[in-house]
Amino acid sequence: MSYAKINADILRTLQPPGPVYFGSIALVLAVLGFGVYAFTQQWRTGLGVAGYEHPILWGIYITNFVFWVGIAHSGTLISAVLFLFRAKWRTAVARASEAMTVFAVMTAALFPIIHIGRPWFFYWMLPYPNERQLWINFRSPLIWDVFALTTYLTVSAMFLFLGLIPDNAAARDRCTDWRKPIYRVLALGWRGSTRQWIHYAALYGFFAALATPLVVSVHSIVSWDFAVSILPGWHSTIFAPYFVAGAIFSGLAMVITLLIPLRRLLKLEEYITIRHFENLAKLIIVTSLIVGYAYITEFFIAWYSGSTFERGTFFDRAFGQYWPLTWMMITCNVFVPLLLFWKRIRTNLVWLFVISIFVNIGMWLERFVIIVTSLSHDYDPANWAGLYQPTWVEGAITAGSFGLFFLLFLLFVKNFPAVSLTEMKEGSHVPAEARPKPV
Amino acid sequence: MDTPRERIGRRTVLKVLGSAGPAAAVAACSPVAPEKIIPYVIPPEDVIPGVATWYATVCGECPAGCGARVRTREGRAVKVEGNPEHPVNRGALCVRGQASLQGLYNPDRLRGPLQRRTANAAAGQGAGGTGRLVGSRLEPVAWDVAQQAFIDRIAALRESGRADRIAIVTPLMTGALDTLVDRWAGAVGGARRLRYEPFAYEALRAANRLTFGRDTIPSHDLAAADLVVSFGADFLETWLSTVGHTRAHAERRRAQTDPPSRFVQIEPRLSLTGSQADDWIGIEPGVEGLIAASMVHTIVAEQRVLVDDLDTEDLDRIAGLVDGLSAAEVAGRTGVPADTLVELARAFSDPDAGAGRSLALGGGVSASGWDAAAAQVSINLLNYVAGNVGRTVRFAPHAGWSQAGTYRDMRELGAAMQAGEVELAILHNVNPVYTMPGGDAFAEALDQVPFVVATSHFPDETTARADLVLPTHTPLESWGDDHIATGLHGLMQPVMRPLYDTRHLGDVLLETGRAVTGDDATATLPSGDFYRVLRDGWRAIMPAPDDTDDDEPDFEAFWAASLRRGGYWYTVEPDVVTLDPRLGDVRLDTRNADSARALTLVVYPSLHFYDGRGANRPWLQEIPDPQLKTTWSNGVEMTPATAAGIGADEGQLVTLESDHGSVDATVLLNPEMHSGVVAIPIGQGHTDYGRYASGRGINPLTLLDPVPDTVAGSLRWAGTRVDATPRDVRRPIPRLQSTFDQHDREIAQSVSLAALAAGDVHPEEPHVSLHPDHPHPDHRWGMAIDLDTCTGCNACVAACYAENNIPIMGADQMRRGRTMSWLRIERFSDPVEPSGGLAHPDTRFLPMLCQHCDHAPCETVCPVFATYHTEEGLNAQVYNRCVGTRYCANNCPYKVRRFNWFEAEFPEPLNLQLNPDVTARSAGVMEKCTFCVQRIQGGREEARDAARPMRDGDVTPACAQTCPAEAIVFGDLNDPDSRVSRLSSNDRAYHVLDEVNTRPAIAYLKKVTRGSA
Repeated sequence: MSYAKINADILRTLQPPGPVYFGSIALVLAVLGFGVYAFTQQWRTGLGVAGYEHPILWGIYITNFVFWVGIAHSGTLISAVLFLFRAKWRTAVARASEAMTVFAVMTAALFPIIHIGRPWFFYWMLPYPNERQLWINFRSPLIWDVFALTTYLTVSAMFLFLGLIPDNAAARDRCTDWRKPIYRVLALGWRGSTRQWIHYAALYGFFAALATPLVVSVHSIVSWDFAVSILPGWHSTIFAPYFVAGAIFSGLAMVITLLIPLRRLLKLEEYITIRHFENLAKLIIVTSLIVGYAYITEFFIAWYSGSTFERGTFFDRAFGQYWPLTWMMITCNVFVPLLLFWKRIRTNLVWLFVISIFVNIGMWLERFVIIVTSLSHDYDPANWAGLYQPTWVEGAITAGSFGLFFLLFLLFVKNFPAVSLTEMKEGSHVPAEARPKPV
Repeated sequence: MDTPRERIGRRTVLKVLGSAGPAAAVAACSPVAPEKIIPYVIPPEDVIPGVATWYATVCGECPAGCGARVRTREGRAVKVEGNPEHPVNRGALCVRGQASLQGLYNPDRLRGPLQRRTANAAAGQGAGGTGRLVGSRLEPVAWDVAQQAFIDRIAALRESGRADRIAIVTPLMTGALDTLVDRWAGAVGGARRLRYEPFAYEALRAANRLTFGRDTIPSHDLAAADLVVSFGADFLETWLSTVGHTRAHAERRRAQTDPPSRFVQIEPRLSLTGSQADDWIGIEPGVEGLIAASMVHTIVAEQRVLVDDLDTEDLDRIAGLVDGLSAAEVAGRTGVPADTLVELARAFSDPDAGAGRSLALGGGVSASGWDAAAAQVSINLLNYVAGNVGRTVRFAPHAGWSQAGTYRDMRELGAAMQAGEVELAILHNVNPVYTMPGGDAFAEALDQVPFVVATSHFPDETTARADLVLPTHTPLESWGDDHIATGLHGLMQPVMRPLYDTRHLGDVLLETGRAVTGDDATATLPSGDFYRVLRDGWRAIMPAPDDTDDDEPDFEAFWAASLRRGGYWYTVEPDVVTLDPRLGDVRLDTRNADSARALTLVVYPSLHFYDGRGANRPWLQEIPDPQLKTTWSNGVEMTPATAAGIGADEGQLVTLESDHGSVDATVLLNPEMHSGVVAIPIGQGHTDYGRYASGRGINPLTLLDPVPDTVAGSLRWAGTRVDATPRDVRRPIPRLQSTFDQHDREIAQSVSLAALAAGDVHPEEPHVSLHPDHPHPDHRWGMAIDLDTCTGCNACVAACYAENNIPIMGADQMRRGRTMSWLRIERFSDPVEPSGGLAHPDTRFLPMLCQHCDHAPCETVCPVFATYHTEEGLNAQVYNRCVGTRYCANNCPYKVRRFNWFEAEFPEPLNLQLNPDVTARSAGVMEKCTFCVQRIQGGREEARDAARPMRDGDVTPACAQTCPAEAIVFGDLNDPDSRVSRLSSNDRAYHVLDEVNTRPAIAYLKKVTRGSA
């Protein structure tokens, strides 16, 4: 493929969109608007409009938070970890995954605010100097969350931006409409000189190295929200690796869910090929097996511990009032991905799309099941709750978060190259050995 | 050109905008409209802002006559507590007493007189009923007009010589007001007077009349009895004087005598009282008397009669009465094994222990069915032959209960109304339209009365049918007194100015009486207002001056002392009573009604609502029933077997049909009942009793036979036969505890008396912690709760609501378990087998509140330090700092933290009850028990003012203060001599969920099982 064709094909995606695109934007805006309306109701009336049932004091919002943080994980994995491992196939899907990461973290970051009782005081959880000399409690995992999340958002946003610089320059050079000055600013004066390329490559490698530990740390910290509590069903040492694997698992599924329609919409079939999807599917198999192993470990340890409370919680999880959700979760996350062992299935986009949706549902359910069943059935039987029945407010806000995520994603792919021009060009002509080495 | 238009130029506009904009913005910053603050320019003499004033008075919630002390702040009552000096309750109050503030501040209270006027066509709502009610409604009117209308009616009847066609119905009143009502009735020309109590214990009184010739109710010394056998008397819930009984019962349990004291409850449905029993015998309703008679039979046959100087003639009469009711015979008819009956009889009258060591109780509402008086005679004889009369059963010369009318009296009044013999009915705080059975019969009778005057506090089903409503002061706004028994004179004083345009009933009667009787008023009615009448009445109560004392009897000093004390009381020797010579006529062989219907209905009084009067108190609705944990409604209880038999399940609606009515009720499964029994509590099912009571649950009285018992004149509460047909509708009732099984968690623990005596106790092993303990240099506040004496009566819960401004959430929120209660009663039970001899109820009530852990899991997880550990060992919650992450509650193994889902609402005037010492919390923050930190602060300040260190007993949280069983003890764990320290190192002490190593400040004392099996 020639550089010119790559330039033409990929920058074509930035041209004025058609009715399908505008229709999609209108749809996600409507969904987002409904979610915002629901949140204003909650803000004005109180959290009681949500379906919380004492003592299930965390519910859908925290589920969504963990879900979106999880989605964010595969982006970094694909763009940073696979970059360091020189897995060249990542090139085609890296940009979309990085964008997904940033937008998923942004969406996730809203949920702690939506979730708390007094959202107007959310900034009290930030360590800012104030005249009342009030400080935050560094022993609280929620504070760790604040730091983990802001770090991750910063690094992944910068990583995305960094990779975009040469592409922005290409867009700047081609663009004739009102976006030209914006590209000019975002290109940071990129001229494509060798010196710039050397700096770029060094910095890209540096950020890849910086982002890699975050893949492990951020979701480990999110998992500690649960693991450092004393609640049976949460209090478990396997939570960090278990959650990291689950996060990557769900993120990969979301990448597939997004890319299959995207390559169609943007006519990028030549760039994002079956081979890419197959590789993603193989990663899904690996992470699915880890997640399945974690499930088995959880139940085994609960039994093996001999603790009445642990056993009670896990028995209730499997056979209590939430049993359909638990078994749906296990089916979606453990059994359905096994189908990907068949090459014919993992190379079939329809199958892949369906399976990725199953995994998304399964991973959302996993967080719901962990949070809700553990809370509903803890130490003192006098507290055991009835069935948690979420209300329309929680439904609308959850849908709204998808609205926000897809809105940001749609706006991104129409305004920035969804596939990295730079790396596509590198991959098409220059042998890997000849590329500048990261320092 | 200089037109007016031009004068408002650009500069002017900018000037105005420049000044008005910020001004408007500043004004808009304040979310609350500015209030007018009136300073105490001329301060009232005895009001210091910020310092509480206490007034002693009498609780007016039921006829028990408990003494109360009311805490007022800046002229409004904020808390009711028991009067520690009062001999009936000695400082404690029950759940209803705690909620009496919500009577005073009830938002549905009648706020002024109402008169029935013909409604115009447009405003036809509110019109209903029959006869004179059609097309009319009650409208506000001035007092003078209202009272004149009343006077005119009486005067018209007097003129036409029909003054005897006036009827005045009041509840049981026992003091100066009672006397005044009688004198008024006489003065206006012989009005019919009735003291109506739905629970008038007619069978008990009739039996005492038959057995001992005394139409009265004795007092029962539970503390002195080694063996208490209760035949369905719910003496820890509503029966006569529950606070006093609970206190005595707890004393009896605490005294670990050898052999241990024993309590046997015999009843069809395991009541809250029965849950405390060592032995429980489940029976079908109506056989209580047979069992008592068989015990008498055994005692007489085995010559164990312990009466001093019993003449043989009496013994023969007793033997004759119980002839044929041997243990074997009764065992065949009741299903209770003969061995059990004989064993119980021998234990009851034990010559080795001596006379008067036992006590049989009976005549509770839920145990009064067919031949209830005869059954109670058997119980009386049982007490008599065991030598208990005069010892544990003490008759006093006077008992207020003997004046109460019977159900039959009320029914006759209804018949007279129906026949047109009553032309003016005055109903004071009675609600017969609700409390009388027979469907709408009483309402229809009332509608035949040409003029009905209601002088109640609240709008209810009865006032809705009145022509004139003259609202009177509630007890907390009134002068008055109480004389429930000899030696007990409670004095009521108003604790605050009346909230609304109400008057004292005494003053209404005095004014109307004088107005109609004119000049001869002085002859028939006392002079002055009611306050003066009351004072004059107390001149007679004042003890005669001591002979050795030369001083003139100083009434003013006596009056002031009585007011301060809350009354005047002295001990009385019990009357000597003997068997009535006419006793031989009673047939003790009681029989139930025959019916082809499948199930037997038991209607029992509600712990919270009594006869229904408490149903408009939102605390009583919201606090869950201690046994079933239901809130805001009631249903029909049946065993799972019974429910399966009719094809119904929990939450399903069934149609209950008796020969007298039918009602649709929600099924509540309750395994602890005799087979074939269904039970419904009284108190719900109001149609017109304010926002909190109306339209909730069912009124079971609809199902009862309205024909009174021939001997006692009582309503047959128990034993009505019903059929139940399931409907295809579900209407589940919110229950705040989903399981009563501990699931091996050992939350509420027990120890057998034998193990305790043998020293077979297993103290908790200390756990290691990675974290250092918190230093507590001065105090470490802690609590000890004795599960052995806790009866689950909910008084502490209501006290906590009152003290700590806990909002109510309403029925819908209860479906999501969103109670705000800082203190809840957890109930764990191993259901008893409901048939076949002695069972041993294992019901454990555990008051659960913040444990103020030393290693509190909630503290570490709060991101903003809204919860932290104080130097005095309190787990403090800073509401203003809380952002509402709710992580603390998730991490609390006891789940005692409550989240404010909404902004709390206190509809006026309920907001006046709010304790000014406690913050009212806003939406979105977490809250929980503070160990009444405001009281700790108060105790500290008191000690500081007296320049002394704090002592044990300086601080008593609201829950401990009101506990009738004194099961909750609070104090300083740093002080090794404090009561709480000693209890915390008791053999029975343990900490809930000790293995989690939270190191709670609350020690629980294990329940002691005394099963005699």
